[in-house]
Amino acid sequence: MNGYRKYFGKKIFWLLITFIFAVLLNFILPRLMPGDPVAVIVAKSAQGISDTSAVKQIYENYAEAFGVDKPMTIQFFTYFKNALTGDFGLSFSQYPRPVSDIVSSAVWWTVALQFPAIIVGWLIGNLLGALAAYIRKGFDKVLMPLALFVSSIPAFGVAVILLVIFAIKLKIAPISGGYGFDMIPNFSWSFIMSVISHYQLPFWSIVLVSIGGQAVGMRSMSIYELNEDYVKYSRFLGIKDRKIVGYVFRNAMLPQITGLALSIGTMIGGALVAEIIFSYPGLGTTMLQAISQSDYPLLSATTLIITLMVLAATFVIDIIYGLIDPRVKAAQFD
Amino acid sequence: MKLKRVLGLVLLLAFTAGFVFAGAAQDESPNAAPDANPNQLPRSATLYYGGQQWGAVNGWNPLSDDMNNALALAQSAGGSRTLMFETLYMYNLLDGSMTPLLADGDYVWNAAQTEMTVKINSAAKWSDGTAVTAEDVAYTFVSNVKYVNGQGVGNSPYIESVTAVNPSTVLIKAKLTAAGMAVNPLMLVSYLGSSYVIQKDWIQTVEARNNNEAAAVKKDPGEDVVFSGPYSKYYADDQKVVFIRNDAYWGQDASMWGELPAPKYIAHTMYADNAATEVAFKAGEIDVDQQFIPNIQDLWLKDNLPISTYINEAPYGICVNMPTAWYNQDIAGLDNVAVRKAIAMAVDYDAINANAMTGQSPTFQDVPRSLMNPTPGEQATFDHNAVANLQWAGSDIAGAKKLLDDAGIVDTNGDGIREIDGKNLSYNACAPNGWTDWMAAMEIVADAGKNIGIDITTEFPEWSVYSTVVTAASQTDYDIFMMWTDSATPVQPWGRVRMIMSSEYNGVEGNWSGNWGHYSNARVDELLSMIPIEKDAAKLKSYYTEAVKIYLTDVPSFSLMYRPDKFHAVNESVWTGFPEFEDGNNIPPADLSDGYGIAGLYQITPIK
Amino acid sequence: MKNIIRQVFHSPKFVVGFLIIALILLTIFTYSLINPGDPLQMIGLGSFFKPGTYISAYDSVGAEANTMKLPEADGNRLAGILSDADRISMLQWLTAEGIPESDIDLTDTTGLLNLWDDNYDPSIKPKGMTLAQRNYYSRLNSNLANAENNEEIIIAQVNEETGSLERSGVISSTDYVNVRDIANVKVLPLGTDNFGRDVFKELVSAVKTSLLVGLIAGLIATFIGLTLGLLSGYIGGIVDDIIMFITNLFTVIPAFILLILISNSIGQESRGATTVAIVIGMTSWVWTTRAVRSQVISLRNRDHVNLSQISGHSLIRIILTDILPYIASYVVMAFILQVSTAILAEAQLSMLGLGPKTTEIPTLGLMMNWSMLYSAHLNGSWWAYFPVIMLIALISFSLNLMNTGLDQVFNPTLRD
Repeated sequence: MNGYRKYFGKKIFWLLITFIFAVLLNFILPRLMPGDPVAVIVAKSAQGISDTSAVKQIYENYAEAFGVDKPMTIQFFTYFKNALTGDFGLSFSQYPRPVSDIVSSAVWWTVALQFPAIIVGWLIGNLLGALAAYIRKGFDKVLMPLALFVSSIPAFGVAVILLVIFAIKLKIAPISGGYGFDMIPNFSWSFIMSVISHYQLPFWSIVLVSIGGQAVGMRSMSIYELNEDYVKYSRFLGIKDRKIVGYVFRNAMLPQITGLALSIGTMIGGALVAEIIFSYPGLGTTMLQAISQSDYPLLSATTLIITLMVLAATFVIDIIYGLIDPRVKAAQFD
Repeated sequence: MKLKRVLGLVLLLAFTAGFVFAGAAQDESPNAAPDANPNQLPRSATLYYGGQQWGAVNGWNPLSDDMNNALALAQSAGGSRTLMFETLYMYNLLDGSMTPLLADGDYVWNAAQTEMTVKINSAAKWSDGTAVTAEDVAYTFVSNVKYVNGQGVGNSPYIESVTAVNPSTVLIKAKLTAAGMAVNPLMLVSYLGSSYVIQKDWIQTVEARNNNEAAAVKKDPGEDVVFSGPYSKYYADDQKVVFIRNDAYWGQDASMWGELPAPKYIAHTMYADNAATEVAFKAGEIDVDQQFIPNIQDLWLKDNLPISTYINEAPYGICVNMPTAWYNQDIAGLDNVAVRKAIAMAVDYDAINANAMTGQSPTFQDVPRSLMNPTPGEQATFDHNAVANLQWAGSDIAGAKKLLDDAGIVDTNGDGIREIDGKNLSYNACAPNGWTDWMAAMEIVADAGKNIGIDITTEFPEWSVYSTVVTAASQTDYDIFMMWTDSATPVQPWGRVRMIMSSEYNGVEGNWSGNWGHYSNARVDELLSMIPIEKDAAKLKSYYTEAVKIYLTDVPSFSLMYRPDKFHAVNESVWTGFPEFEDGNNIPPADLSDGYGIAGLYQITPIK
Repeated sequence: MKNIIRQVFHSPKFVVGFLIIALILLTIFTYSLINPGDPLQMIGLGSFFKPGTYISAYDSVGAEANTMKLPEADGNRLAGILSDADRISMLQWLTAEGIPESDIDLTDTTGLLNLWDDNYDPSIKPKGMTLAQRNYYSRLNSNLANAENNEEIIIAQVNEETGSLERSGVISSTDYVNVRDIANVKVLPLGTDNFGRDVFKELVSAVKTSLLVGLIAGLIATFIGLTLGLLSGYIGGIVDDIIMFITNLFTVIPAFILLILISNSIGQESRGATTVAIVIGMTSWVWTTRAVRSQVISLRNRDHVNLSQISGHSLIRIILTDILPYIASYVVMAFILQVSTAILAEAQLSMLGLGPKTTEIPTLGLMMNWSMLYSAHLNGSWWAYFPVIMLIALISFSLNLMNTGLDQVFNPTLRD
């Protein structure tokens, strides 16, 4: 138990330091981008106005409202103080909408899309990879190159191809949106069906992309494990194949779990491509718009969420590893 | 292990099942009676718009410029959108006429053209039943000025006051010059068609709950706003905004439209970008689309879709402005008129028309270049013959080279690039990233430079960076760059001449108004002050002709193409009867919502 | 060494992957010899010309005409103007105007056309007919003007002196021209893109650039990852913690976001292909570092390393001679993967408009970007985006295949 305390203590220490630095970077990086967010807003309001002092007035009003006229350090402390209470300020590009409002309405779509997609992709991929490693002969020779090819197709390629084939040519899937274009959200059955049907293409595009990668990785790990000494020894001992397979896959699973946890950690930004091609509501499109319009508060808030999730995920992995794999714990004490 | 396998299979089955069943749910019954299911809009009673609303609606407050509510709040001199709020008159971009809406009859000038009288239609009512009065008009103007919003800031340099002589008569006084003439009488006409009339009582309610504080008043979402137009809020969230028709709308009175507009609902779904909007338009999920679709004619020629534009052949729409390439006069070499004219002559405008606008613009052979847009009204304002020898049609590589050679700008060191004072002529041609037709045009300009020995490379910064640089008082980052020009409004073509060549903007920080190349010409400034108050038609024509001559000689910038202000394309899978070119109804291609374009809503019918 | 190379080339997966890459490289180098010129030159006025052979109509007029009487010629010509769907539309229009259906025979072309000529009136607006349908009928009508007429077509040119039209030639419906006799024939295997550029030529040039970007980025990323991984894994302790901390920072801020932010900050002017490659390389070393580190940790406790430590060899010497050779195979594989991810990263960046400048050299991502901006996937111009996707996939695939092959060579347990 003593060993555990030292192990976790070190982990938590570094976690805190990483967190502080991450928050700092999250604040600074967007503001280092060139481009004036106030100019974007003024462009919208000032079109058609030909009187220059008037436009200047509008510009100054917004600059003050955004707080960009104060020095960087003061901006950071205001930001940090407000962030602790959950107030991330007002968005620049969607002024005067609060950032927390934008993020909260978008994040659920992304999570609902990504989480099941990652899990399903992971499950199917690992299943196929393990099967390929176990069966080897014909199945493996066909599956491996196929999975490799599918995982090589870029994410936007898969999304575009799915869109063209299923939505445009065959017309069996809807082309865009989170739910039917003529629906108004409510809890009726038709609305839920509409949501599910609009869910399909983005979901499958993410799943397809991750299956390939998972299958290949799992297959390599499984093959590696299958040739370990303890497997041969167990076979000679006469232990049933089924039982051996169980042990093998549990060992092969370890790096895959790392991968899974990391995927979940980064899932907020991962659906970017699918969201754009399918016009699916979510945090990905919000982030991209925030970048192109220099919307610092929105960008900082979204990257902060990603940061927190990844940190949490890595921390959880470390804990789980510490508990599951005695080898890892031992190596820490070198 | 076994459990995991079973779990995986179950999940797989579940999602496939969802796919299959949801696919079946795609067929929404088109015969559903309206209101049978209030949570699914009846398709044949709803008109869907596209390409206007990007991002979620922030509110319904007409005093604010930040509501991001494109369908309800769009005030513009080129025709305001009167779906929810109404103006005194409706501007028609086809002929520049003003049709009364809240007003009764024509507006009347006094003899000196310094004051204007407008009567209010006695049938006009607010959504709460009270009558629209001149007091509302006056109080709206006062509030706009007080709270420094777009309308207030844009109109106060030209309008001294707006007062209610009696409940049904409005008196508008122009700001006067030292000589006692109106600074710009046309701006008063422009105000009539652009400013919404807001109910005085409601404004006072908003002021009271925000302590008369400007910033708070403009941030107020205005969910309780009182309106006079035919449509109002039904539903709004991140994905869509829906308007529902007010069946007690005053406009069904015989003195106005005589009936209610056809669609019961008007909706706009928020799409992520142009491509998603186009896909929805092709699928019939959008009826009226404001979007530049490259090669739009392929939609009906090749794809056999029931899609049409205002004109059924090139240029498919009415072009009213000219995206222009500006020369930064502060850059060495670009202050030389031979260089400017040579580059402008060498550009292949046919390629721009074909590749950037895909034929949706008249060519410069059809409408030779000037300061005026292609509409007959503006083309008649100047003498074509007098400027014919100054106009060029483009792709004149030989002529451009000769111009440069004659000016002594040659390539002395054999690297293929001409020099001035020993320095290579090397420029960048810039347009904002993502504005595809502008980006394409700049690529073609760069190509022209290559052909005549000037090194031009393209750059596509993000809009937020681009706009900061272009609107600075002076900059050296962009040499040749694109910006827009004014479209059709009551103050054209004077407004465009001012925007392109007036020196009043030089040295101003945060300049959104024009002349971004910082050109300066005293005679032009003189003409600009004389044109608005000139009443003699012949003299007016001579002034405009002179302005065009100066423009084509000095070439401070050059037009790249003609372009509509708003694109207008319709999908006739649910509605028909949309306005067509020369169909006798004189309804402009304004997406059935801007200015007089809203008349279109009263003549469309659902397809049987 | 020689043995390893022999084994490597015996692995079927490696060979297949290697062949694909070699083929691509071969095409790149030979195509620019066959078809020289600027790949970014706009040859088509208009967007998205279909793939095919383009024959100069102007030259075919003057070329030598041979007379051929082909029985199916008339039928083909008519089918091109009047399809079966068009016939049915004509029937609908005629019946709407009151002609009894029994009078109309769809197979009798002459009769149908006569009936149409007698009854069609462009100014009529039948009830319920949309504007789109009316336009369709007026287009059909103008196409049908001389449908069955096989009269000669007269070519006329303007006389230089008198300014009037003078007959200069005649084309009859039985004239055929040999394509080899025509002066200007252009083959466009993949048509043109939205700017009117030859897609195939552009693709060849783009692959070259993308491969280069991938190579540079891969080298940088592998070098950084290797160094950091070695130091962190072998030295351990506080050095390890610091390097892991930096790695975590880079993980926690998503690489893609970092890439976008840096690209955005550099601005378009300085964004050449090499700059983008460097930026990609500097942000994608995380995975390599971790992988190398875990390998080194497991190697650290091996006997030969302990022996060297006891012998008092310097740190650098131990790392270079005792650890590096054992993970060499791993590093080579990591490098290949880095190249493939770098190519993908560049493609995605360019797709978002944050890649290299557009007028100088094409890259795969830029081609995708422009085709998406002009909605190629929506108007059926598959040649503008599909070959690009397939090529990216192919390059990635072949690199991964080579990787798997190498894996089998260096890890005998994995061999089939």
